[in-house]
Amino acid sequence: MNTILRLEHIQKYYGNEGNLTKAIQDISFSVEAGEFLGIMGASGSGKTTLLNCISTIDTVSAGHIFLEGTDITEIRQSSLARFRRENLGFVFQDFNLLDTLTISENIALALAINKVPAGSVESRVLDMAGKLNISDILDKYPYQVSGGQKQRCACARAMINNPKLLLADEPTGALDSHSSQMLLSTMQSINEQLGATILMVTHDAFSASYASRILFLQDGEIFMELRKGDDSRSAFFDKILNVLTMIGGGQSHVC
Amino acid sequence: MYAKLVFRNAKRSVKDYLIYIVTMTICVALFYAFLSVSSSYYNPDIGSEYDFTLLSDGMKAAICMITLLLLFLIRFVNHYMLLRKQKEFAIQSIMGMEQKTIGRIFFAETLIMGMLSIWIGIFSGVFCSQFITAMLLTAYGKPYEISWTLFPDTVLLTVVFFVASFFVVGIFNTRTIQKTKIIDMLSAAKENEPELKKSRFISIAAVLFELFTAWGLMTGIQKIYFYDDPRLALSVQLMFWGNILFPLLAVLWPVFCRIRKKKREYCLTGLLLCSVFNAFAAASVAALKNKYYLPLGSGTLNQYLLFVLIDLIFFLCALIYLTSGLIAAWKEKSPEHRYHEEALFFFGQITSKLNTTSKTMTIICITLVLAIFMFVAAPVLTGWSSGYLDIRSMYDVQAFSRYNQVYEEENLPQDSYEIIADFLTEHKIDTDYDCTFNLYLPEKEDFHNRQKYDFPIAAIAVSDYNAIREMLGYGQISLGEDEFTTQWKTIATGEERDSFLKEHPSIMTDAGKLTLSGQSYYEDAIGETAYNSYTDVLYVLPDRICEKLLPVMKNRYITTSENISYENAIELEKLFTERFPEQTESGVMYGIRLCTLQTNSTIANNFVLQAAMLYGAVVLMIICLTVLSLQQLLDAGQYQYRFSVLRKLGVEEKAVGKLILAQLGVWFGLPIIAAMIVSAVIITYFIQIISAEISAYIGFGALMLQIGATIGILSILLICYFISTWIIFRRSVNPS
Repeated sequence: MNTILRLEHIQKYYGNEGNLTKAIQDISFSVEAGEFLGIMGASGSGKTTLLNCISTIDTVSAGHIFLEGTDITEIRQSSLARFRRENLGFVFQDFNLLDTLTISENIALALAINKVPAGSVESRVLDMAGKLNISDILDKYPYQVSGGQKQRCACARAMINNPKLLLADEPTGALDSHSSQMLLSTMQSINEQLGATILMVTHDAFSASYASRILFLQDGEIFMELRKGDDSRSAFFDKILNVLTMIGGGQSHVC
Repeated sequence: MYAKLVFRNAKRSVKDYLIYIVTMTICVALFYAFLSVSSSYYNPDIGSEYDFTLLSDGMKAAICMITLLLLFLIRFVNHYMLLRKQKEFAIQSIMGMEQKTIGRIFFAETLIMGMLSIWIGIFSGVFCSQFITAMLLTAYGKPYEISWTLFPDTVLLTVVFFVASFFVVGIFNTRTIQKTKIIDMLSAAKENEPELKKSRFISIAAVLFELFTAWGLMTGIQKIYFYDDPRLALSVQLMFWGNILFPLLAVLWPVFCRIRKKKREYCLTGLLLCSVFNAFAAASVAALKNKYYLPLGSGTLNQYLLFVLIDLIFFLCALIYLTSGLIAAWKEKSPEHRYHEEALFFFGQITSKLNTTSKTMTIICITLVLAIFMFVAAPVLTGWSSGYLDIRSMYDVQAFSRYNQVYEEENLPQDSYEIIADFLTEHKIDTDYDCTFNLYLPEKEDFHNRQKYDFPIAAIAVSDYNAIREMLGYGQISLGEDEFTTQWKTIATGEERDSFLKEHPSIMTDAGKLTLSGQSYYEDAIGETAYNSYTDVLYVLPDRICEKLLPVMKNRYITTSENISYENAIELEKLFTERFPEQTESGVMYGIRLCTLQTNSTIANNFVLQAAMLYGAVVLMIICLTVLSLQQLLDAGQYQYRFSVLRKLGVEEKAVGKLILAQLGVWFGLPIIAAMIVSAVIITYFIQIISAEISAYIGFGALMLQIGATIGILSILLICYFISTWIIFRRSVNPS
């Protein structure tokens, strides 16, 4: 398998000399094409900062990030937006759909922004909607559909341009358990059937159990790595819970 | 501590308050500038023949009336600031600050900004008042001198008025803050997804339009029943039938749509077209009435004017409502339109906002039309009035009589108004010229003809005519033995004159037949009282002919070597009216016109009218632009979210900047362009109806200059507001 994303000694500091906050200390890892990688950690462990750096929304203080061999930390500011829309797909906790557009228009917007020929937009939207099972709500507005449907629409929008990497930031954060399960199954099928590479940030063990590999962050460093391998999902889930207990400090710290 | 907080807040959020400061400064500047004229310290050199108190009292009343509109604006702008600061209030409340205190801090903040505006406003007002003084001195025909004076009483009045309004609004705001729950304040700035609901406003507007159209239809039927005559010209017939058929179409159209189950937009488009046709049909009534002297009263004219207004207002409502539909239709037409880069996002922004604010937009449009119309109409009306003054007040004293109510020949006036000459001698006022003369009826039998549209033309003896011409500095004329010539009012058109002269190559008089002289007409203005009622022409006949004719009116014109002072003029007028009242038992109507009084009242009234209309127009424009601007800024929270989504999707900053500019462009452009179109129609109609007066008294050049000035002022205001809105909008949606 070939490596699609490679992070080399990433560091991210906030503040100035007198008051320096190290959000990311030193992180290096790589993601293979078609992998479903989960990133877990407590609040303040640096997982969202990491995602922001990968997604070029934020810049790194030191280190390099390579996406298919391109060092994205070296891309000029003016070319970043173009890079983002051509290579990355985003799914956010709060959906980030536009309330002025219908579900189909929300998906089509991502294609239009990417200057896809107008004639092929609608067929591609229909095709993607079919895969994500949202064909029947295409003409509705976001406020007329459920949270789960909104998030599937967000997934469709993220996937429509066939991004090299799909970045998901707490995608189930605003969903009930049923919708979460549905969404995660959808993401799994995107990963397995469409071959998408997914990087998902979450602090929910259940969501993380859908990933094939999990990186646990603590205080801006990789604390542990967990691979699913041939385990069943429930076994993997148990392993995750164990790691979380460890990160939480275990028995030794509570006294 | 609180004082420190207030000052730091004010300093930090000066940019947030930009719209507030701009609006308040313009309001204060205008208020001060217009009111400075009525200051007791204001003493322009306008000469002893003018009485200034007449003007300043009128100005005070007019300005204060219009200023009431400003209260609405101050309230609106404060409301916007309140919403903008909700989140900050919530945090302060959570920290434990009492809501009462928060209200007070907010009030102190707005007061600081308000005082800053008053300060800048008064100084800009001093600058603006130069224009007002220039306008005033030009009105009185005096040379203009710059005087940079600050009038203490006007400053005091301005400060008191605005501070008082800030306090009133501040009390309301403090109460609002006290009543608001913390949780509502917290979530106020958060993105919410409002339902894109179309307002019901248009249905109500359509029902009202239908009711008025039905009334118009009934009026049309009534008018054709009473006034139609097959002998009338084709255009008049068309007017009568148009006023039945178009309203009928408008009434039946919704019924047709209901039966055929057509869409609402389809029905409205039909009604929109109907409103245009209706407006044309109704507008033609006034135009044709003037042309063909139709026997329609002013009540009917006003009624049709109302119909035109209703049609135009509905046109605006429907146009703005349908705009979003039109955009949607264009969007749906082809994928190229729809999926061109960020077009989808742009259409979404525009249609969603239009759908929810069509009512506000329509009201803004109507207000803008009113403002533009006031701007253009002010100089037309005052120009008309002062141009008319030049023509009617050509002599220092004019005494005249009318025989309209006299039914017996022996009751016709004989007196030669010696009372005036006695008064002038008594007050040692020298006269340069003094001319007493009769006006005759060419044919005695016409004495009993009192039909307005067929009123007999009066005649003057050539010697009297020459005496008047000498008074006015015109050359003498001569007439052959059996010849006559004509003298025309300024308002008469060349066409009217030519056709009259063609039809009257000779006239019959009681002393024989006369033929038209080689020099068939004279146009030099000789005053309005030399003509018979309802006529624009006067015959000039040889003296020997006039001796045999029936004299029906007696006039006396006097010019003095120096202007009659205001006090003397008042006294002479009083004396004359006591001796020769307007209504006498014999039926003769007497009148006196004194140049001093006419000029005084006309100039003062004109100035008040013009100043009030210009002030009102600018205030209305400011209100419209402020509301437009704040409508966009109020939703900044939502916009910030939407633009952040776009950025996340990979849209470049440059494209975001373009989208913002386009969105604001449409938002400001749509109502202004719609208002401009409707105003252009109204102004064209207005100009057409009074085109004779405009060319006679004002001149089209001056009118065009005024229209240019209107566009200039509107553009300056628009640029101010557009740039302020753009700056704040960018600040709101850009990531910090």
